[in-house]
Amino acid sequence: MKSHTSLLTAALLAAALTGCASPRKPATPAPTAAVGKSLSDGKSVKGATDDLDEYAVAGIADPLEPVNRVTFWLNHQLYTFVLRPVSKTYEFILPKPVRKGIYNVFDNVEFPVRFVNHALQGKFQRAGQETGKFVVNSVLGVGGLIRMSDKFPAIANVPVATTGQTFAKWGLGNGLYIVLPVIGPSSARDTAGLAGDVALNPVTWIGFIYGTWAWTIPVSAADTVSVLPEKLSQYDAATKNALDRYLSARTAYAQFREEQNRK
Amino acid sequence: MKSRFLILLLAPTTLLHSALGASTTAAEDRLKAAVKEVLALAAVASSPADLARDLRPVLLKNICFDAMTRRAVGPGWRQFTAPQQEKAIALFTTLVIRTYGDKFTPGEHPNIQFKPASTPAPGRVEIPTTILYQGSRYEVVYRLEEAEDWRITDVVIEGISLVANYRSQFDAAFKKDGANGVISALTQAEDQS
Repeated sequence: MKSHTSLLTAALLAAALTGCASPRKPATPAPTAAVGKSLSDGKSVKGATDDLDEYAVAGIADPLEPVNRVTFWLNHQLYTFVLRPVSKTYEFILPKPVRKGIYNVFDNVEFPVRFVNHALQGKFQRAGQETGKFVVNSVLGVGGLIRMSDKFPAIANVPVATTGQTFAKWGLGNGLYIVLPVIGPSSARDTAGLAGDVALNPVTWIGFIYGTWAWTIPVSAADTVSVLPEKLSQYDAATKNALDRYLSARTAYAQFREEQNRK
Repeated sequence: MKSRFLILLLAPTTLLHSALGASTTAAEDRLKAAVKEVLALAAVASSPADLARDLRPVLLKNICFDAMTRRAVGPGWRQFTAPQQEKAIALFTTLVIRTYGDKFTPGEHPNIQFKPASTPAPGRVEIPTTILYQGSRYEVVYRLEEAEDWRITDVVIEGISLVANYRSQFDAAFKKDGANGVISALTQAEDQS
């Protein structure tokens, strides 16, 4: 999964196939144990406690909720009326294998984001795995076009690492919940982390390397478009059946980031 | 004498261990059978709506919607009247089935790998899985509980619990307008499709 888009993924995954909660309290505690409670259908469940008190809502401070809701609404309009047509056109023009190849190339190029953050988190084995994955995909996968690393179990599923996770690992709390324009759900910590991810992303370096920013914008745009179909599909699934899209995305973000930080 | 004491000491542990092992196996078998049934339906479905319709009996058999609904609502559930509880369960059941059906794209075949299950408490089993679907990998944990039989009570995808996610939304609706607020929000969500 592409590291720089994982924040958006958090929101989009929301109630989807169904973020930054306090690291001290599990966001989705597994139901606790006791004996003899019955379900509403009268069937005894072994080991249930008062199950109504389980699943405390994953928390993230949201004092900016009124402003965040406005940004969330604007993002929704943007996704629906601008990004979706762009995504549909992209899917119409390019066949799936080509789109997949483009996605893989950008994902492979973003290797420094994951490598540096694994190292900064002290996860040197994962940093090594990332390196192996990068080499395999670059060499055997023809410059990252084909994800050959999937064929090697040791490097097939290396967890994503972002700068926001690194900050969390260092003990920084979430700070406020923030809905960023275009990107979506984030926190004060992850917004700062996003700056780190952008700085570590080679796509950003193009301007420095070639002494001109003329290529940075189209390459970044291509990078963004390559992930659009996946993200929009997840967003649809997430918000379609929510009672409140905003709350669904916020809770999903809190849970997702909690899980990512735990890995 | 010493060895007899040791046997007495270890016997309950051994019995507990084998009982937990048996329950884990039963829960795993139940989940695998349910997944197999769902995938068979998903493979032939022509649209998410058709799939949701076909999935309904399978999911009703394998998911404990009563427990799922009351946990998603939380402590406010005690203030629901019996008809309100019944209505909330029916609406939430439809919503969850539709949500589940939306996950499948006709023609796509997910690959599911089951990992060793754990028993967080007697009568409860968590089964982690890795799902490869449309080129992406998802970590999904199924939580099952034993009533008359093992049934799913929550699905946690990439750390996002279905029940916890709806809990935040139900909480807000309940604080605003009580049980009727929850039912009204559920009805609106159902009408949005």
